[in-house]
Amino acid sequence: MFLINYIKEVAAAIGSLLKGMRRTGYYFTHHKEIITQQYPDNRDHLNLPERFKGEVVMPHNEANEHRCTGCTACELACPNGTIKVITKFDITPEGKKKKAIDKLVYHLELCTLCNLCIEACPSDAIKMAQTFEHSVFDRSQLTKILNNPDSKIMDGVE
Amino acid sequence: MGIEFSDIIFYLLAFMMIGFAVLSVTTRQLFRAAIYLLFSLVSVAGIYFWMEANFVAAVQIIVYVGGIVVVIIFSILLTQQAGAEMPKPSLSKKLWSFLAAGSGLGILLLQILKLQLGTVNAKGALFDVKAIGRELIDIDTHGWALPFEVVSMLLLASMIGCIVIALKPGAIIKHEMKES
Amino acid sequence: MSLSSLAQQIHLWLLGHMSEQWTLVLEMIIAGILVISFFAVLGLVLVYMERKVSAWMQIRLGPNRVGPKGLLQSFADTLKLLIKEGLTPDGADKFLFNIAPIGAIMVSMLLMAPIPFAKDFQMWDINIGVLYVSAVSSLSVISILVAGWSSNNKYSLLGAMRSGAQIVSYELSAGMAIMTIVILSGSLSLTEIIQSQQNGWWLFKGHVPVIIAFVIYIIAVTAETNRAPFDMAEAESELTAGFHTEYSGMKFALFFLAEYVNVFIVCAIGAILFLGGWMPLHIGEWTAFNHIMDYIPSSIWFMGKTFGLIFLIMWFRWTFPRLRVDQLLKLEWNYLLPISMINVVLVTALAILGWYFK
Repeated sequence: MFLINYIKEVAAAIGSLLKGMRRTGYYFTHHKEIITQQYPDNRDHLNLPERFKGEVVMPHNEANEHRCTGCTACELACPNGTIKVITKFDITPEGKKKKAIDKLVYHLELCTLCNLCIEACPSDAIKMAQTFEHSVFDRSQLTKILNNPDSKIMDGVE
Repeated sequence: MGIEFSDIIFYLLAFMMIGFAVLSVTTRQLFRAAIYLLFSLVSVAGIYFWMEANFVAAVQIIVYVGGIVVVIIFSILLTQQAGAEMPKPSLSKKLWSFLAAGSGLGILLLQILKLQLGTVNAKGALFDVKAIGRELIDIDTHGWALPFEVVSMLLLASMIGCIVIALKPGAIIKHEMKES
Repeated sequence: MSLSSLAQQIHLWLLGHMSEQWTLVLEMIIAGILVISFFAVLGLVLVYMERKVSAWMQIRLGPNRVGPKGLLQSFADTLKLLIKEGLTPDGADKFLFNIAPIGAIMVSMLLMAPIPFAKDFQMWDINIGVLYVSAVSSLSVISILVAGWSSNNKYSLLGAMRSGAQIVSYELSAGMAIMTIVILSGSLSLTEIIQSQQNGWWLFKGHVPVIIAFVIYIIAVTAETNRAPFDMAEAESELTAGFHTEYSGMKFALFFLAEYVNVFIVCAIGAILFLGGWMPLHIGEWTAFNHIMDYIPSSIWFMGKTFGLIFLIMWFRWTFPRLRVDQLLKLEWNYLLPISMINVVLVTALAILGWYFK
């Protein structure tokens, strides 16, 4: 009984080792699998993965409209105070007051790109962009206002 | 031009052997003493190689170097100051050890001089591995079969003992419990 | 022109110009220079090979900036090591600290002597080649122990002690694996062992027991040369660099070189014992095939087999994770040693009964 277990154990060990060697051997012979990006050389045709997170942006459509309602969910979700939502009150055509954003201030220098704000956003107003060349000469340039000047909220987004 | 190159090599090895042996007993650091002893023993192996007694030389290295490794490991593990300078030995200690070593040397020299060694010119032939092997398992008067078998049984027993201790199921289970 | 005839011509030319004694001295010097330059080339090639192999196995590119395909990367690294300062730490045993790397490289040089690089081309045709190699290779642990202890560093000492336990125990099963071939070929001389494989390599002639011995040999020598998955002696993530933590510059380079040369040597010995050294591949009665194989020079056969084994050991290194100390000792005493002991008995029976292919 002991002997059978012993032999089984050895055989299983060799089997699992060979399995590992087959995988690395496959990678060794298939150079197409190489994932290294030779960055400054292939800058024009960078092949970034879909989930790559560079910075938070707010997409606008052609009519300079965004989807942000100014609910401050992102501000509350941010663990280190990267986002600051400054709200204002618009007067709707019906004469009602309506809450909207004045500025969405985003401190890139504080951001850890944790993606929590994007997950917290109820109206999908912000998303992660794939840009990553962020170096600037002045720290103040890293504080960005995400909404374009004179932009409006899109119709139908509450 | 009486000196041949092989003589130079012999004297070089001999001086290395004696020099390192002297250093090994005079140094007051334990670790260095072990290393000097190693150099001395390797020089002995070198002299065997010089004599073309390759088998003896290889055995010298295997046996003594293995021994030195154990000495080093123990000198580090079991003494806390393997590198520290030991206190100077007292005069009486020095005297007695000198006397003991000297008398040993005296007896050896006496015997060697009594033997009146002649020059033997049988390089290599005496140290043929096959001849040594045959001698070792020879059961005739000059054979070494019994001691060889006794020693090999002892070594085999110790090796199997190691394996049995390592394979002991209780030990493994205890070990794995500790791991988890 | 083969390497052996070249050596013969140099020998004759030297004999014609000077006395026998000076010829011997000059030949020794030539051999020494050749060995040192071979070491240098080997170090450059193996480091480049290791980096490329590791990169490709980890889906990376590897060195590709210095020179075409990064071929000059090793030269650049060597240049850097040469001009770096060789520090000796305070509180270290200076004499032993400085002598340890020299000892390591000397052992590698001694091991180079009996290896036949091609047909009739070896420095020292010693009649106990295999025993000599296993004896001298056990010296390498001393330089590691000395280096680890004299650095006056806890990491170094731990690495050295680990390496001591490891080498002492794995030498046993490596010796047993070597013994199987000695039993089958009936000789300790490397030349005779190669001659015994004229009609087929032992790996093919010797059935399962020799294959088991080959596997055990490869595992044991991987451990003896302190390479991953058995690199606890220099485990970067646990002991920074183990026994050579405190070494820098050329002294570090000597340790590094000795490690790679040792890998080459154990692979060369493995190729000689199990794969027939410089013997070309012959298959039974296929005379045409055998003739074609004979046209390939013996040195290329030897180097090809050796580098094949080196590649295998590199493959191990970049596939398997590092073992823990207790797992390492368990592997040796629970698995390798019992199996190799039974294997030796099996091979002895095989040799006595003549059940191997002749």
